[in-house]
Amino acid sequence: MASCLFLKPIKGAGNDLPDVGDHVPDIDTIEHYALETVDLTPYRALCLPAHLDQRFFGTLTAKIERFLDGGGTLVFNGHVAWPMLPEFHTFQPLDRFNLDALQIYRLKEHPVFEGVATEELTYRRGVAGFYARGCNPPPEGAILLHGVGPDRLPCDWVYERPGGGRIFMHAGNDLWMYVGSQDTTARIAPQLCAWAAGSGEFQ
Amino acid sequence: MTRLAVLDAGTYYHHRTIYEDRYRDHFDRIIYTRELADADLSDIDVLLVSCRTDPSIMKPRKDQIAAFLASGKTVVAMGSTGHPEWLPGVYWTDTPTNFWWWLEGDEIGLKVAAPDHPLLRRLSLADFTWHYHGYFKVPEGAVSLVDVGDFGSIFYEDTVSTPGRMLITSLDPMYHHGSHFMPATTRFLDGFLPFLKEVHAPLRQGA
Repeated sequence: MASCLFLKPIKGAGNDLPDVGDHVPDIDTIEHYALETVDLTPYRALCLPAHLDQRFFGTLTAKIERFLDGGGTLVFNGHVAWPMLPEFHTFQPLDRFNLDALQIYRLKEHPVFEGVATEELTYRRGVAGFYARGCNPPPEGAILLHGVGPDRLPCDWVYERPGGGRIFMHAGNDLWMYVGSQDTTARIAPQLCAWAAGSGEFQ
Repeated sequence: MTRLAVLDAGTYYHHRTIYEDRYRDHFDRIIYTRELADADLSDIDVLLVSCRTDPSIMKPRKDQIAAFLASGKTVVAMGSTGHPEWLPGVYWTDTPTNFWWWLEGDEIGLKVAAPDHPLLRRLSLADFTWHYHGYFKVPEGAVSLVDVGDFGSIFYEDTVSTPGRMLITSLDPMYHHGSHFMPATTRFLDGFLPFLKEVHAPLRQGA
């Protein structure tokens, strides 16, 4: 049994994304709507795709909270639009999308982003704007990891729930879309899995 | 007035496209995709299957869609919905997604094939122009609006394969508009959604 469980995107989406399992060991994947019935207790982390049926996920709040209460780690990608968890708040886009607004800034070092150059988050093949275009506002007490734009909207944060478990938030495309890249962003997915599979204590 | 229903697949980008003010008034009904099986479509003229709707949900709805078309109504199927699995007479060729055509100096190769079509009065070729994921072979008697080179179509209208009308495209504007990404996709929706409200149904009642 692997440590990290990856939920596949809804079908019809994600065919153009790389297969994270080709690059990161120790993961299981399940079909999108199988989340309703899968037993989460053997897993340390649940990793959600940006192509998430949030209306469906929002029906599983009690199950996800039990998983978190038990010390699990939830990794969320994308923009929050529907009610899902009390720690989630509706996506706040940047008010403009020029080059200045799309710059990514590191707010705090974290094992997931160790050795990852922020320039390579801001620019992909010389083009800015793939990483984040706003933020899912963090709950009080979250640790802010990356900010986007002059106002440093917190596009990445991690939150240790008082009741147990951790939420790792990225307000953009799947962090594992960088697997196999030729620059430092290739470090993200393996480091994310290693961190997420670790103990419930902040590492 | 044409009554338009849209499928909501529950993602953030469908939420932004469907529920936010910019387009909300175009939709007479919003149907959560997983509730389509129980939906009564009798008061609907046009069913818009949003881009990236899960084909595994649409496939069991094939008979429901066929009945809707058989009554002379219109189905619009956007990109990445697995069209051939739940619509009749759709022939699709998958290609690697040309995300970077604009950066690599390539021609994307799109061309208008039906300049007199009413939709082309609302949209220019530039409004159809972003990466595509493949192309369709157009059935005989159907009309391509936009071709990719000489390979096939990325947008066509089929009023011959069923008693209804099918608008078939490989484009995925809701995903990109809903991600605050790619202005062409917003321009496309700005023209396309009002156009859908002008589609008169039933198309060929009694045909």
